[in-house]
Amino acid sequence: MIEQYTIATTPKYNFPQPTIDTTLPKRLTQLSLNSLQQVQNNTIQLNQQQIQQIQNPDAYTQNFQLKPQPIQLKPNHEKTIVAAVDTSSIKIGETATGILVAIRGATVWKQNRKYRYLRLGPFIFHMTEENKNQVCAALRNTYLNTLNEPNHQSAPNLQQVPLRLASTLERWFQTMLTKTMANSTILFDGSLTSGTPDTPTALLKEILENARKRGNVVLAFSKMTTLRVNGHLITEALPSHEPPYLLETYGIKTKPPTLLLGDVYVAKLTCGNCAFRLDIDKHVPNEQKIRTVETLLTNDLLTQSYPETLRLAHILCTFTANEVIAMQHFLAKRHRLRIVNRPDMHRLLFGPFGKGENNA
Amino acid sequence: MKLYKKEGNIVQILSFPNETAEKGDYLLIEDAEAGKALIAQVIDMQFASVPGVLEELLRSLPDGGELIQGEDFDPLEIAPHIIYIQDASLLICKIRATVENDTLSPSSPWLPSRSRSTIKKLPIPTLLKLAKVDGKLPIMIGSTKDASLLTVDASSLDGKLNIITGKKETGKSHLSKLLMLNLVGYKATVVVFDLNGEYVSLGMTSDEKRNAYHDKIHVLTPAQNFKVALKQLNLHVLLGILIHALHLPGTSAREFRRIWQSLKERDMLNMRELGEAIRNWHCNQHVRDALFSRYHALSNSGFFSDEAAGATQLEECLFRAKEQGGAIIINLKNTSAIDRQIVVEYVLGKFVELLTNWKLKAVFLFAEEAHLYLRETYWDDIVTRMRHFGIFTTFVTNQPDTIRENIYRQADNIFLFNFTNEHDLEVVSRAARVDAETVKSIARDLPPHYCLALGKVVRDFPMVAKVKALDVKTMGETRLFFKETN
Repeated sequence: MIEQYTIATTPKYNFPQPTIDTTLPKRLTQLSLNSLQQVQNNTIQLNQQQIQQIQNPDAYTQNFQLKPQPIQLKPNHEKTIVAAVDTSSIKIGETATGILVAIRGATVWKQNRKYRYLRLGPFIFHMTEENKNQVCAALRNTYLNTLNEPNHQSAPNLQQVPLRLASTLERWFQTMLTKTMANSTILFDGSLTSGTPDTPTALLKEILENARKRGNVVLAFSKMTTLRVNGHLITEALPSHEPPYLLETYGIKTKPPTLLLGDVYVAKLTCGNCAFRLDIDKHVPNEQKIRTVETLLTNDLLTQSYPETLRLAHILCTFTANEVIAMQHFLAKRHRLRIVNRPDMHRLLFGPFGKGENNA
Repeated sequence: MKLYKKEGNIVQILSFPNETAEKGDYLLIEDAEAGKALIAQVIDMQFASVPGVLEELLRSLPDGGELIQGEDFDPLEIAPHIIYIQDASLLICKIRATVENDTLSPSSPWLPSRSRSTIKKLPIPTLLKLAKVDGKLPIMIGSTKDASLLTVDASSLDGKLNIITGKKETGKSHLSKLLMLNLVGYKATVVVFDLNGEYVSLGMTSDEKRNAYHDKIHVLTPAQNFKVALKQLNLHVLLGILIHALHLPGTSAREFRRIWQSLKERDMLNMRELGEAIRNWHCNQHVRDALFSRYHALSNSGFFSDEAAGATQLEECLFRAKEQGGAIIINLKNTSAIDRQIVVEYVLGKFVELLTNWKLKAVFLFAEEAHLYLRETYWDDIVTRMRHFGIFTTFVTNQPDTIRENIYRQADNIFLFNFTNEHDLEVVSRAARVDAETVKSIARDLPPHYCLALGKVVRDFPMVAKVKALDVKTMGETRLFFKETN
């Protein structure tokens, strides 16, 4: 299945055909099935706050500035493949001993004016205090060890497990993209900040290095940012200038062990109100950085300054309510988990004044 | 299936793709603890409002309407579950009855448990048995969707007003023939106003051999083998024809009455003498002209004869049918509009006369497109007054708006074929024995030859059946120009 990912179209843009490491998806499936087997015939409590997406917080920034002069972008009509990756996780219920979590990832690429995708999942896990370390360690050993990464990651608490699982899948997707594509633009969701529990520095470095080796450039778009200049969010304090343009930042410093592996820009690529934080691999020459964004302008559809490929990746991996019900149905049918609806204590105690546990 | 909601006498049931139910099907909602069950009929089907479905559909069409191509690696095989949830449907059902201790009651003053109730399809034979639809005089209408037979009792047509309606070529005449022949089989007297000559060969099989009904089918064609002599006519019958069919004014009618009395006293009631009498009658010239024009209309119809031989045909046929059952087909095929009205006025007048004198027990009258020959005032007469005399009418029409609303309200049985026109459905839904939602929802989706039976004939449990084929020579086919080339 993974081999189909390197589809062949025109000779110019053929994906290379290396042996893709499918260890992680296999291991995910195995761990998923194992964890679910341990929870058969149990009852599950439906979760009321469900949809989750990975959000990397912009912690640790010091004083920095935006260069006042924008970098004006000129659409570059050189043809290139644009690919994007995104993952999402969701808590689909609780059991007496843990939580039920689903993760899914998607990569989308645009080639010859057509969008194509590869989607992995959903993988459903029953995570408990007992098995969370085991599952996380197993995934780390399966995937991270193949990259010779020294492992300093601590086991997350149970509520962080969904994000940790999804981020592992996302890093695997990113690695595969950077290893299989050539001379392409690769879009990540989030920033190029490393040294966090979800993004070990060595791993992100290796991903970016793989990309550079094959002539790819990684652009990381953050939907949300907390970076502020003079108290204003960097994506809101924009000069009155005709888009498309980039605003370069300088002087961003991070707190160890957090490390920024990209140069940070504010990208306003189309007219409208939206602008995004854009991280571009800092080891890519400046001209190439600009040229890559310029080729993105013509090789992908941009709506509200956001690339369609990345938007599709997000859409394809996000769980809909229908899918959550389907997964609960799967658990009830296949693993004989009985779904129970625990009364909401806030509602029970406060009636119409109780706004639910999640909005308390 | 799961009980989802109940509002009034409508229940909404959640149904999953592996549970097949269609419009018209009956469901049994059984609450074992309460020891009761609801019988509900599916009248509409909708997609269940599953959250997230819109997002699901939208994300499959992100590229300006073009489907995004891709691969899904779904190791746990969740996709079938997603489709299963996405394709869940909501069955809108009408509560028809409550079953308690094998006894039906038409009301539903209780609410079954949503969590405990079990819902299953109720086979039509079981329902028929519960509702005691089949009786001692069974008429097999056809087969239901679950291949069981829909058999009704002929006595549920007895003394009743029936309507068979549906758009063209859906099988209305076929059903009326089926009902008619079955009634004849039970020795009933049936009279058909046959507008298109469709019923004249009912005594023959499709390969033109005589069938079991051959000797019981009497075809009377006006001006050919069906004529009347003035002597046999009652004055009020003829006045009815003159006033209602030929629109004779009141003053002229009074003069006619005098002429009639004069001829009768002299035992000279025949067409020739009537003409002479009008010619020589001392009266206003305009009155004479009016009477003459009507006389010529009567004379030109060919329906009135001075020879008594042909004139007794109708009574003979009726008396023969009274003994062993039979159908009198009044073939109005090549009869002009005025002559049709003359014939119908005569026949109905004769019925009233014979039934009043108890010379006939009762007559089942089948009237095709009755608006083409029945005068306005007769509609109410037929459904109210004449019913008490023993004329039990079945109206057959493809234009439901030609039948008055008060007739729908009084109809005991309605056999409804497909209608797509909202206006037509609106008209039929005014019938008292059925709810508008059922008519509008089910009739719109009926395939050709399927009919929705409503009313006493099915004990008020609307049922859909495919009308069974009849081995009789078809005469109702439309003449086609391109028939041979096709």
